[in-house]
Amino acid sequence: MSPRTLFYYIKEAFRSIFRNSWMSLASIGVVAVTLFILGSFMLLNINVEHLTGEIKDQVEIIAYVDWEITPEALDELRVRVIRLPQVEEVRFVDRDEALLRLKDKLGPMVEGYGEGRPNPLRDSFEIRTIVPEDIPAVAAALMDMPGIARVDYGTEVVEKLFQFTAVVKWVGMAFMLGLALTAAFLIANTIKLTVNARANEIMIMKYVGATEWFIRWPFLIEGMLLGAFGALLPMLLLAYLYGRTVAWAELNLVFLPLVSPQAVLGDMGRILLVLGTGIGCLGSLVSIRRFLRV
Amino acid sequence: MIEIRDVQKIYNGSSAGALSGVSLNIARGDFVFLVGPSGAGKSTLIKLIFREIDPTSGKVFFNGRDMAGLRESELLKVRRKIGMVFQDFRLLRQKTVFENVAFALEVLGESPRAIRARVSLALERVGLAGKENSFPSRLSGGEQQRVGIARAIVKDPLVILADEPTGNVDRENSRRLMELFEDINRSGTTVIIATHAWDLVNGMKKRVVALEKGLIVRDEERGTYSHE
Repeated sequence: MSPRTLFYYIKEAFRSIFRNSWMSLASIGVVAVTLFILGSFMLLNINVEHLTGEIKDQVEIIAYVDWEITPEALDELRVRVIRLPQVEEVRFVDRDEALLRLKDKLGPMVEGYGEGRPNPLRDSFEIRTIVPEDIPAVAAALMDMPGIARVDYGTEVVEKLFQFTAVVKWVGMAFMLGLALTAAFLIANTIKLTVNARANEIMIMKYVGATEWFIRWPFLIEGMLLGAFGALLPMLLLAYLYGRTVAWAELNLVFLPLVSPQAVLGDMGRILLVLGTGIGCLGSLVSIRRFLRV
Repeated sequence: MIEIRDVQKIYNGSSAGALSGVSLNIARGDFVFLVGPSGAGKSTLIKLIFREIDPTSGKVFFNGRDMAGLRESELLKVRRKIGMVFQDFRLLRQKTVFENVAFALEVLGESPRAIRARVSLALERVGLAGKENSFPSRLSGGEQQRVGIARAIVKDPLVILADEPTGNVDRENSRRLMELFEDINRSGTTVIIATHAWDLVNGMKKRVVALEKGLIVRDEERGTYSHE
């Protein structure tokens, strides 16, 4: 393709965008709205993943040891725990340390314990697994070990959390796929309208001896440009809104650590741009096909 | 240059043939009127020469080559040697007169400078110099058809195929269009016009091929078109 022809294609694409300005605006609008929803959902999904990841990382097992355990049996128990294949890290917390921690947290409420009054706490192991999903299995194994009095890992909460994140992940993926398909369909239809409006032009092009690709290129470029313009709008808007949301959350929802804008917006922008351009290109190809048959 | 050999054309869904065994030879530089009532097969013949449609049986040759055997790229080359003129002009409404004519050359990848020169020449030839920047909707029917003719001749075709070119033009302008076709033909371009404007045909004394119900009923040099 010579530079002159390329220039001609681009010129024709822009000319068509401006001449069919209402139709072009409609296409850009459709792309923009769909990609905005898609982008919002992507950000939501990324943050849900991020948050559940954080929560999962914080989940650990606490195994309380029998009161009467001998130091030898305790050592043996520790070795057995460490040898469990799913376990990443084991920390022994003796009852005095546990009481100190409690005093730090609760202050005057536990005044006197360990000094005048006896320490009511047990020795314990704090156990982290390599993957959080192994927690229930490891907890069950611990329960069977002699010398372990009680195992605590917030059974219900953890299992619910794992179920919830799995559901969010799949629903999110299905939703995004559905949205992308809807966007492609809508854009194909909108571009079909522009192509319909130009059926006469395509026919005349053929009468004067234009090759199929000569006819196709301006439409392809037009579709890609419309898709790209359509992607640009939600990119900017999402960048602005997400930046504001993160800034607000940092001040008002300290316990809710959102993914930083720098970490997600670059990738998301690229994805939206590629999606927009690709969808536009695909839409053009589909809608122009039937006009090329003569 | 154009040889139509025993061509039959039956459109899908119709029992009667649009053409039922037509043979015709047209030499380079000929000026031919295809005449006959509506449905006689004139337009079908034009479409077959352009290979917009394929014959049901028989063959169409262009410059000695069988049109049916042409690959896509070869067909394009043949089509570039043919200038089409339509009854409804088929101009692009959103393009100016200049752009409409230039379109035919842009498609061929001509340089902007060559396009400017050749379009100006073509517009001058059809008497539209000075109307370059007008839009088709601002022109009369006769003028619009002149733009159509300029678009057909701007690429120096071997043949002009015109299907009812005066169908939407008043009498006086029709006569002028015919003079224009005659002028184009004088420079060596073959001109084939399908029409049922009997008075124009009779005034020109050119070769007349008369069709009726898909058959050639008369083929006369310096012929006429009797009006019943």
